[in-house]
Amino acid sequence: MDTESPSFATPETTTPAATSPLPGSPTASSSISTTTSSSITASVSRAQTVIESLSAIITDLPSHIASSDDPAQDLLHNEKVATQISDLLRQPGSGAGDNPLCRWLYDTFQTTDPALQLVVLHHLPTIAGTYLSRVAHDRSLAGFEAVLLALYAHETTARGGQSVSVNVPDLSHPSVYHESKEPSKSNATGLHLAVISPSLEPYGTVRSTRRARIIGVALELYYSKISQMPIRSKTDFCEFCEVWAGLDGSIYDDGEEDDDAKGGKEHDQADGEAESRKEKGRKEAGRITLLWELLQPVLRILGHCLLGPVRNKELQTAASAACRSLYTRALHDINPKAILATESLLRLSKMSISAENEADPTEISQSNIIIL
Amino acid sequence: MAQSQSTEFTGSGDDSTVREVHANGLCMNTTEVEAKLDEGNIQEAESSLREGLSLNFEEARALLGRLEYQRGNVEGALRVFEGIDLQAAIQRLQPAVTEKQPAKKSRSRTESIHAVSQHAASLVLEAIYLKAKSLQKLGRLSEAANECKSVLDAVERIFYLGIPDAQVDNKLQETVSHAVELLPELWKQAGCYPEAMASYRRALLSQWNLDNECCARIQKGFAVFLLYSGVEAGPPSLAVQADGSYIPRNNLEEAILLLMILMRKFCLGILKWDPSVMEHLTFALSLCGQTSVLAKQFEEIMPGVYHRIDRWNTLALCYSAVGQNKVALYLLRKSLHKHERPDDLMALLLAAKICSQDNLLASEGVGYAKRAIDAAQGKDEHLKGMGLRVLGLCLGKQAKVASSDFERSQLQSEALKSLDAALALEPNNSDLIFELGVQYAEHRNLNTALRFAKRFIDATGGSILKGWRLLALVLSAQQQFSEAEVVTDAALDETAKWEQGPLLRLKAKLKISQSSPLDAIETYRYLLALVQAQRKSFGLTRNASQAEDDKDNEFEVWHGLANLYSSLSYWKDAEICLSKARESKAFSAEALHTEGMMHERRGQIAEALASYINALLLEPSYVPCKILIGAVLYKMGPSALPVARGLLADALRLEPTNRNAWYYLGVVHKEDGRVADAADCFQAASMLEESDPVESFSSLF
Repeated sequence: MDTESPSFATPETTTPAATSPLPGSPTASSSISTTTSSSITASVSRAQTVIESLSAIITDLPSHIASSDDPAQDLLHNEKVATQISDLLRQPGSGAGDNPLCRWLYDTFQTTDPALQLVVLHHLPTIAGTYLSRVAHDRSLAGFEAVLLALYAHETTARGGQSVSVNVPDLSHPSVYHESKEPSKSNATGLHLAVISPSLEPYGTVRSTRRARIIGVALELYYSKISQMPIRSKTDFCEFCEVWAGLDGSIYDDGEEDDDAKGGKEHDQADGEAESRKEKGRKEAGRITLLWELLQPVLRILGHCLLGPVRNKELQTAASAACRSLYTRALHDINPKAILATESLLRLSKMSISAENEADPTEISQSNIIIL
Repeated sequence: MAQSQSTEFTGSGDDSTVREVHANGLCMNTTEVEAKLDEGNIQEAESSLREGLSLNFEEARALLGRLEYQRGNVEGALRVFEGIDLQAAIQRLQPAVTEKQPAKKSRSRTESIHAVSQHAASLVLEAIYLKAKSLQKLGRLSEAANECKSVLDAVERIFYLGIPDAQVDNKLQETVSHAVELLPELWKQAGCYPEAMASYRRALLSQWNLDNECCARIQKGFAVFLLYSGVEAGPPSLAVQADGSYIPRNNLEEAILLLMILMRKFCLGILKWDPSVMEHLTFALSLCGQTSVLAKQFEEIMPGVYHRIDRWNTLALCYSAVGQNKVALYLLRKSLHKHERPDDLMALLLAAKICSQDNLLASEGVGYAKRAIDAAQGKDEHLKGMGLRVLGLCLGKQAKVASSDFERSQLQSEALKSLDAALALEPNNSDLIFELGVQYAEHRNLNTALRFAKRFIDATGGSILKGWRLLALVLSAQQQFSEAEVVTDAALDETAKWEQGPLLRLKAKLKISQSSPLDAIETYRYLLALVQAQRKSFGLTRNASQAEDDKDNEFEVWHGLANLYSSLSYWKDAEICLSKARESKAFSAEALHTEGMMHERRGQIAEALASYINALLLEPSYVPCKILIGAVLYKMGPSALPVARGLLADALRLEPTNRNAWYYLGVVHKEDGRVADAADCFQAASMLEESDPVESFSSLF
């Protein structure tokens, strides 16, 4: 899979965040930004530098990563490292401006090395999740904001600030996949232009009314690389969706249980009530306002987790739970667009479970008489 | 999974099943051959087949491979297939490059050529296909994909002229269709997404003579892949782009196109209904916010697929999501009818919410909300708070059109009670906190309103603009203009340039209230520059409603300036601003209002009255002009007093907290000699004087 996009090759010019939020950070990008000679050795040594600085932050960094042939890839997929980073990110005070981990994430992203940027994106769910749940009460989150702004700036440059739109097709026009009897009079008629991500302005700080948009754009960037993300990162994301929704969706969980499990479940419900109430309290505390500019990329990512080409049981369970929570939330907000989208995702995930046992249409017909 | 089960079944059940092979008019029982295969003796099995059915080496091998595959012994099948040089066989089947399109007269001869080569080709291609299937079952996915691909490559090379429809060998077609369908699936399972994209497109854009079901499965598979894989496919190659036809440019467009094509096939009865297609389309179109297109799709579905009530409710969601609330409400009324599904909670809540946005529908909404609260039981109990919330909102709206003071205050306190009860159930619901703030503010309970406004900003981390505006307006109603300005400035800091319009307008009005008109003019100037820059820089990309918003903004600025200049008696400037305002909005009660005031203040009473009356003709419930007409009329002598009184009472019915209306009503009472009534009105006016916000609270919604 080719991850090269034009913006990676050029040092980012319109990143207002590049200098301001972390004044003391050693600018790794300045020393290595000449990616013109992006030979493999250069990227390996870049990754090694990054790993070396990480070793000062986390306690247990497996030594084989630095010496591997593709250290960035190993760093991305190493469960042990991911757990430590994720734990650190969730600690109180983790998002401060002088937090070494945030600085490391920021510097790593600014290396403009696609493989290393994936390592940062891996942790976007945790950063965005922790940040959004805290930001109303906690003002010292400059470290998180610097990372988020860097992602936003990257996406802004990559798109040239342009909006992303969708021309919803109209079948009365012929297309590459179908013919149409009535000849089209003009190309413009009948097409519905939908802006799915408006044009981007460069931002140097996180203004509170633009917060959802900045994170939404960072999530759009995450979505564009999602096929390369480890499962762990996606399950983290699903967990935070539940926290953001602030509501428990388990009442809408009727997909997987069979008849005998149902009886047992009711029984459990009484026992687990106290437990679930505690859980409920934790979740409700993280509830945030779900503006469409944030919810839309969230739903795209969830769609991938539920119905994407890689089927992983753990991920699907997490994604269904997230989806149920968001559906419950959509009902509470009486938000028609969100109700439609989350409800269809829920139904699809149920259908995909029941479709697993369907016959394979590419199998040859099995008859006992074989005719040559 | 089902596959392995079924092959296991046939594999273990070979005592009961007796297979036969037919070829060249001969027939043979395979028990003996299978026994040889079980011993691992491929050569002997092969030769007994060759003898029994008079086959050549390749035919016998292909048959053996198929037998092994069918027995579930994929490893054995693979061993057999690997013994055949399939590529060489394909090479032999390929027509010589020099061969030309045969002339028409030799048609019968070419037909026979086709027939022969089709049969041979079918044998070889099936062998390769089964090899791919065997590799797939062994988990060697990229190898499987490459084999499968070679089937399609071979078909293209062997039959590069195509085959007339009527002459296609069934078996050949089956193998080709299978291979076309399997290839993208294999690449997908192997994690090679770009290859999967390419093979989906190859399947759908080349002519493989697929049957409808098979083609539909591929189209759906591709649409699903485009929607959820997270890998951008890029537009299809230029080669397939025909003039004037729609070319999808990104994944969403392509997926929506394919799903719509599938929907059309369902509607035409070509395909069996598959509910998942509509769900995928729902997801995709809601993401784009194009639910009006989605509604059209739902309307096109044949009756009998969805229950009519489900369809009405879904359509209501679709229309409501694009702001067509009238249509949505009409549909919901049908579905909530007592003979349909009167207790559907989602429908009740949506209907109540729609009603809560309109004074005249509010009482209908109260009914829905109460039914929703009753229906929120058991599993749905968590929605009870929402029922209370919409009930509160509807009651609050209903209070605005109440016919008596008594009724109004009763409705208002019920509204507050209901919203408070909702908050008790949902203490973290920030929308609710905001609505309570507005409700209290409209009730002129400003201290409580202030508390809620602050709480809303805390809960949302200041991320919602209207929270800042509420706080500033409440402060302005408390006559704390400088604090309100501090809040507005803080809000400006938290807002990006293009969203600053409403805040700047607020700031200008605060400046006027603080008697600094020059600062206000400065703020208006800045705002005007902003609005115009916005229109220029986004002019082409804006849709109709945004363009309308831009016009409204510009109108507001010019109108505000006109008011300001007129209050300073700069008549010339005021007139210029007013004419500018009219350029963006030709007919507006507000502009006529300002014009009338300018006439009145210059002593042109008749002209002023004409402007006010025109404003009322445009907007019959425009309160400020009702009051001004009343104010002008009472000066015209006792005969006009009843008319003035009627107008003012009407204004108060619409806006019970309007200080000017109370004041002039007091004046009218006094002129008429009803001193006690006059005193009451003056008292009301003086109490209200302290609590007017610079912009109305209802502008917050």
